[in-house]
Amino acid sequence: MLPLALLTAAQGKPMLVELKNGVTFNGHLVECDNFMNVTLREVYQTSADGEKFWKMKEMFVKGNMIKYFRIADSILDTAMEEQERARQSGRSRGGGRGGRGGPPSRGARGGGPGRGGPPGGGRGGGPGRGGPGGGRGGPGGRGRGAAR
Amino acid sequence: MSGRGGGRGGGPSRGGAPSGGHAGDKKKRESILNLQTYVDQSIRVKFMGGREVTGILKGYDQLMNLVMDEVVEEYENGSMPSRELGLVVLRGPNVVLISPTDGSAEIENPFN
Amino acid sequence: MDALIPFTTSGSLVDLVDKKVLVVLRDGRKLIGVFRSYDQFANFLLESTVERLHHQLDYADKDIGVLLIRGENVVALGEIDLIAEDQVPLRPVPSQEIELKIAQENERRDRDHAVRDRVLEAHGFVVDGREGDAY
Repeated sequence: MLPLALLTAAQGKPMLVELKNGVTFNGHLVECDNFMNVTLREVYQTSADGEKFWKMKEMFVKGNMIKYFRIADSILDTAMEEQERARQSGRSRGGGRGGRGGPPSRGARGGGPGRGGPPGGGRGGGPGRGGPGGGRGGPGGRGRGAAR
Repeated sequence: MSGRGGGRGGGPSRGGAPSGGHAGDKKKRESILNLQTYVDQSIRVKFMGGREVTGILKGYDQLMNLVMDEVVEEYENGSMPSRELGLVVLRGPNVVLISPTDGSAEIENPFN
Repeated sequence: MDALIPFTTSGSLVDLVDKKVLVVLRDGRKLIGVFRSYDQFANFLLESTVERLHHQLDYADKDIGVLLIRGENVVALGEIDLIAEDQVPLRPVPSQEIELKIAQENERRDRDHAVRDRVLEAHGFVVDGREGDAY
């Protein structure tokens, strides 16, 4: 299961996020996007030295500041089951995307088109989709990666 | 192998529900953070490098550049004194965290 | 056979899936876990992860569970040879003991750095923050 797919599947679940500067946040994931930006609610922040604590109702964190996410085992298990179930039903329906995804899926595209989907105007759609998306892709690697 | 293909195949059906809803709400909006809800409210913004700013959000754009008023800037470990900056434009690329001050508070260790 | 795999991150990570790996992060942490999946940015999923604290030949493991690591934070990532692993003369100790030793070592190092910084500053050098990734 792709890393960002797990993150998307973990929406609504509690997790720990550590930033590059060592600050940690414990909270429930509200939403995430292809840049790994996340919004969390009911958050407890711990300073890098472990001495100071804050509570916040909600917050937004930029993806490029994240070091890692810690997620409960049960969330991974549930997400993998969901994925398996979706794949089974996709297959029985003639499995359009699942089938096409098979061989080249080895991390080649990181689920950009699969997740963004045509109608939504594409999260992080990259240069092809217009200025703002590309602008936010700023550091370049992500924007280009998603756009292919 | 097929597991990973299934991951992407499963993606649209799972991501489809939330992103479909968002496509309806968001129109052209791309960000998962709707800053419109924070306009004229007090927010806390953290930057790369450890600076932290609180103030009233007045405006924003897709790149997360912000316009804030009554801004107070401080350093996260108090290594330098705080400053009052008034009306400020904050550059989006350096923003790392945004949170409303309403509902935020420093607390004792909650993990014991 | 190897020549058929493209020389890309994706090409070299595919062999690690479901293997026990050691990950070294930029902040110096060493994590050991089962490598489950990755993407084109080398973000990856680790399962059954432990953080291993080392002090000379002693070590202690802390259970961490499932980690989704953002690829840019990784310095090194490699498969652990399960046979060779048993031959390394590391000694497991309780984590409090190791944490104490590491804390003492850090204190000593901070003191040394403080002295060094004072001397450098006295000679006109600019001492800017600390080593490593200062965010």
